[in-house]
Amino acid sequence: MKPQEFNSTDPIAWCPGCGNFGIREAVKLALSELGIAPWQTCFVSGIGQAPKLPHYITCNLFNGLHGRTLPVAIGAKLANPELVVIAEGGDGDGYAEGANHFLAALRRNADITYLVHDNQIYGLTKGQTSPTSEMGMVTRSTPWGVIMPAFNAPALAIALDAGFVARGFAGNVPHLAGLIQQAIRHPGFALVDILQPCVSFNKVNTAKWYRHRVYELGKDEPHDPTDRRRAFFKAREWGDRIPIGVLYRSERRPYDIARATHGTTPLAAREPDPAVITRLTERFR
Amino acid sequence: MAGIDFGLIVTGQAGQGLQVIAQALAGVFVRSGYHVFVSQDVMSRIRGGHNFTRVRIATKPVGADADRAQMLVALDAKLASLHLSELADDGLVLIDPDDGSRPETGHEIVAVPLRRLAREHGREVMTNSVALGAALALLQHDPEALRRPIQELFAGKGQAVADENLACARAGFDFVCAEGRTCRERIPRIAEDAGRLFLTGAQALGLGAIAAGVRLVAGYPMSPATPIFEFCARNAAEAGIAVELVEDEIAAINMALGAAFAGARAMTCTAGGGFCLMNEGLSLAGMTETPVVIMVGMRPGPATGLATRTAQADLLFCLSAGHGEFPRAVLAPADPEQAFHATIRAFRIAEEFQTPVIVLFDQFMADATRTIGNLQLPIANLQSAERQSLPEGAYRRYEASESGVSPFLRPGTKGQLVYVDSDEHNEEGHITESAEVRVRMVEKRARKAGGIAVMLEPPEVWPGPGRKTMVVGFGSTRGAVLEAVERLRGKGLDVGVLHICDIWPFPIDSVRAALEDSRRVITVENNWSGQVARLLRQEAGITAAGSVRRFDGRQFAVAEVAAGIERLAEGKTG
Repeated sequence: MKPQEFNSTDPIAWCPGCGNFGIREAVKLALSELGIAPWQTCFVSGIGQAPKLPHYITCNLFNGLHGRTLPVAIGAKLANPELVVIAEGGDGDGYAEGANHFLAALRRNADITYLVHDNQIYGLTKGQTSPTSEMGMVTRSTPWGVIMPAFNAPALAIALDAGFVARGFAGNVPHLAGLIQQAIRHPGFALVDILQPCVSFNKVNTAKWYRHRVYELGKDEPHDPTDRRRAFFKAREWGDRIPIGVLYRSERRPYDIARATHGTTPLAAREPDPAVITRLTERFR
Repeated sequence: MAGIDFGLIVTGQAGQGLQVIAQALAGVFVRSGYHVFVSQDVMSRIRGGHNFTRVRIATKPVGADADRAQMLVALDAKLASLHLSELADDGLVLIDPDDGSRPETGHEIVAVPLRRLAREHGREVMTNSVALGAALALLQHDPEALRRPIQELFAGKGQAVADENLACARAGFDFVCAEGRTCRERIPRIAEDAGRLFLTGAQALGLGAIAAGVRLVAGYPMSPATPIFEFCARNAAEAGIAVELVEDEIAAINMALGAAFAGARAMTCTAGGGFCLMNEGLSLAGMTETPVVIMVGMRPGPATGLATRTAQADLLFCLSAGHGEFPRAVLAPADPEQAFHATIRAFRIAEEFQTPVIVLFDQFMADATRTIGNLQLPIANLQSAERQSLPEGAYRRYEASESGVSPFLRPGTKGQLVYVDSDEHNEEGHITESAEVRVRMVEKRARKAGGIAVMLEPPEVWPGPGRKTMVVGFGSTRGAVLEAVERLRGKGLDVGVLHICDIWPFPIDSVRAALEDSRRVITVENNWSGQVARLLRQEAGITAAGSVRRFDGRQFAVAEVAAGIERLAEGKTG
């Protein structure tokens, strides 16, 4: 399938020039290049501007609650491992409201991909501080400037030995599409934290600001994603230079395989066995 | 022979193995032809404190504790005095004289050196087995009957442990026989093993879920729902289901919804507090029309309340939980038999109407163990409900229909796409803010309530409608209420029972039909505010004359219910 065949007719509600457009192009390109058909996908998204993305491509979609993407995505994957499950949300969705689920998902290592549109601000609620807003940033909710350090999701993921940790940039679509492809192919939990300019509310981390700073790991500088210490160091690099690319990759067994009771038939395709129920009942006699 | 109705209390500290005594005695008497009812009173701690278990052994079916006990087994003699008021005048107290405490009472005391005998015949930790044997001797039952229950209880710990426990029980038995002590009442074998099932409400809920074809159980531990989760986990491999312990209750319901969206029957189980956390997810199930079964166990709140005790105070909460308006069913089974069948019904309703269904129970129902007849497996229900055939053309997840139910399709169906949204959506499932579509979708979802109502079991009316006084209740109070009313009828009172299991959508017509010719309606409920009375007034326009209420975290006693009904039936205000 060509990327444009993933286009949807649903009218797009993003601001003109939003970084989400670049992410949408990258998602379409990645699916297209992997040869995944829309009916094989299962997107799960939360609430915010980012989670609208799946409406703007053709795919299966569960657009649930703010912050609750990951448990839904894991449930869908457990029920039917044949689905290509991609969870999608913003930094507020994933790192504030859903942070506990994020921690648990990193540990569980289910075979799903998690795309976080990280614009360091709350967009849909019109410009409040997000967990990834930089120190000192002035927003509507913190007019005195942010006084807490930003949440560093990739560094946390590496600390918890996540399966696959990458950082992408919405302004570099081919590179981002490559990261998303690798994330989908990775057997286990794959995080892609995507630096995304917000044209309406984040006047600090603009497209121009990013373009001057990002550089590609593996191309502009050699990097071994299996080197955990180095990966952690790179995940914390922020300021004049910001690395994008695959930061870390581990060999952890995905949860879906480690779970013994699953057997080979997807849960969704199983039927109860009356003999088992009779046997369980007899134990109370 | 006259019927036997024997009450026994076992008391001790947490960790002393009270349950072993109760379960082994039950194992003996269930297989000797009796009906047995066991309820637990447990503190929220792992060691120490004061726990007790009530065992009732009867020749007729029983669904509540005995009014009076004839025997008190105190594994810690200091605790015996706490139960003397429940002991019949001719009842006896079994204590260990080495505890150095002797209850001050006129009751007959049987002193058995429990710990010393345990040390001599096994290990001190087997003190409970010595007491078990001693109790059986007092009841003049065949000690051989202990062999099987002890084997079942301890086989998992190795044959040597089972053998030592049996030896300890035998030592306790022989000691009492040598002393020539007996109870007033003898409880001999009256029949061959009648093959009755003996299980807790929680086990029946888990069994029902497996029988209904649950495929994913997600949960977070919280009393009184934990035993359901553990039952499912223990049998997960055999039943071919996924049982997922997750980070919190929010994750639990959302994971269940994800699995259900992907086509696997899913459920979660929790207590009132955990259900609070699930409310947004409940609303999500209503909006996305995703089938899910939520088992909610009531314990006294607010907040942590009495963590290990019982209440019926979350009824109105469950009826209105979740923001927004959407159809749901709430089923409140009274006992293991109802729990099994209500759970299967819950899964059928959830699946057919693509909406959340709550199975509402309480700590008392979940933890009490009792004998029930055989469970008829509704084999026809085990098969997956026929999915509606797909319409021509592109699939529309929320296609409006007369019943309100749209065709369900699993994502991953070749050539078709499923869009599900928590935002208001159009028939395709895409986000909309159109006022017209909004109205259509609200009405479509609301229409499902009519179909759900048809699937419900009508309330139980005994012995018939329109008695002068009708006693209304729901859930776990059934056993105590039926027995109390039977007793009052024996005294000549014209009183009947309306007991509700499937409580939402509220069965307005059958409730009115049962109550309209009555002079007085009384509710019996384990809460302070009289929630059933409120519901009767709100839904059926019937005002109860009063309510028999208990809200101290303990289940009703039969005598207490009978006295309460009698007082209100005679016209005094309650």
